[in-house]
Amino acid sequence: MGHHLTLRLKGFFLTMQEFLFFSVRAFATMPKIRRYWRDFLDQAAICGADSIPIVLVSAISIGSLLAIEVGNLLEDFGAKTMLGRSTSISVIRELGPLLMGLMLSARFGSRNGAELGAMQISEQIDALRAFGTDPVAKLVMPRLLAALIMFLPLTALSDFAGLHSAAYMAEHYHHLDPGIFWNSVYPRLAMKDFVVGFAKAPVFAVIITLVSSFNGFSASGGTSGVGRSTIKGIVVSSGLVLVANFYVSKIVLENM
Amino acid sequence: MIELRNVSLKYGEKEILKNVSLTIEDNTIKAILGPSGVGKSTILKLMLGLIKPTSGQVFVDGTDISTMKESDLYPIRRKMGMVFQGNALFDSMTISQNLGFFLRENLNLPEQEIQERVTEQIQFAGLEGYEEQLPESLSGGMRKRVAIGRALIFKPHMILFDEPTAGLDPVSSKKILTLISSLRHHNNLGAVIVTHIIDDVFNVADCVAVLYKGGIIFDDVTGKLQGSDHPFIRSILSDKILEL
Repeated sequence: MGHHLTLRLKGFFLTMQEFLFFSVRAFATMPKIRRYWRDFLDQAAICGADSIPIVLVSAISIGSLLAIEVGNLLEDFGAKTMLGRSTSISVIRELGPLLMGLMLSARFGSRNGAELGAMQISEQIDALRAFGTDPVAKLVMPRLLAALIMFLPLTALSDFAGLHSAAYMAEHYHHLDPGIFWNSVYPRLAMKDFVVGFAKAPVFAVIITLVSSFNGFSASGGTSGVGRSTIKGIVVSSGLVLVANFYVSKIVLENM
Repeated sequence: MIELRNVSLKYGEKEILKNVSLTIEDNTIKAILGPSGVGKSTILKLMLGLIKPTSGQVFVDGTDISTMKESDLYPIRRKMGMVFQGNALFDSMTISQNLGFFLRENLNLPEQEIQERVTEQIQFAGLEGYEEQLPESLSGGMRKRVAIGRALIFKPHMILFDEPTAGLDPVSSKKILTLISSLRHHNNLGAVIVTHIIDDVFNVADCVAVLYKGGIIFDDVTGKLQGSDHPFIRSILSDKILEL
């Protein structure tokens, strides 16, 4: 029992060490972006433009839902005019980025895990190394850079869609005048609200890309191995997105 | 020349290779024969520096690669071409893109020269007319020929084959073996062939090393294999195809 536990702990720390080296390598190869700019553009389209529908769906649903539920609650206290303030903080600081992170973990992370995992088990990654191409520079770094850049406009789009869907619900469900709604949004939003929300985008980009890619690179055991590594990538990156969401909010709010 | 000197390799508690020493001279075709799962493909990966030995040294043209950094290994790896067991072709690229991929990636050659080299390999592999096809639309034997063409495109000194005829029908196997034999006349290329099919050894190899239970039990010219009195070699000579 003790020996088994020791082996598992050893395995865990070895994996963590490999992940650390893998992550450092992904960042260290960024100067090679000029060589891999086509791969970067492909990945930017995949994690950026192609992700717009899922980000819009999640932002609109969370904005609408918040407006309905928070509006009902505020109505009990006769404070429905504060609906804009309440929903905007939730959308911009917390739920907007969080849901976007989870959606992108499922979409972009699963694609990375499955694609790289399939390449790993079919020895394509070994072939890259065997013929003198750094697979991390070729396959991971463009994904990382694309996510770092594209998650920011996706966050802005998510905020925009979430707020407007909340405003729509405020007007049509709670019969609140749009002027009152937006008046309680704009003057009260502080810089720290945006910093909290937008600081999460690069953190999520790093977590989702590196965790899913690392799991893809570690795939073994045929097609079922690709499935296992993809699931592991999504579960771990989603869990880390939830944890990071809390800590980014805490750190920024305590220091601004 | 590639040399493995007292190489041992462990995965966790399991010892895959025990004190293996091997030399592959330039301009010769050497087979590494052994049953499945004995560590033959691992030897090829050690030669390329894709994995590091637990102990011992691997020399490529006199340079010890066993302790080299990954980035320093890339120019050394380009001296060798590798044909993977599953071919490892990029399935989203056409045949000509697969062939030219590593030239575009790693060498700063003019596009015209890349095209010339791709055409040369297409002709060598007998794949005229298939240039714009995807690998999935080709037969197993044709995919193998593309993989051989890709391995040759850097004009390497040595080419490494991992089970080149495994899973192929007899006609395709024969074509691949003929292609491998013709490498002798292709820039005096040397080759290492990992296989569990003894007929492949007799068909193409100048010399052979037999790997059994992690160690080398025979290493000599192919003609002397039949004279060996090692019980395992006697048994494989009678069975021809090795199974554990």
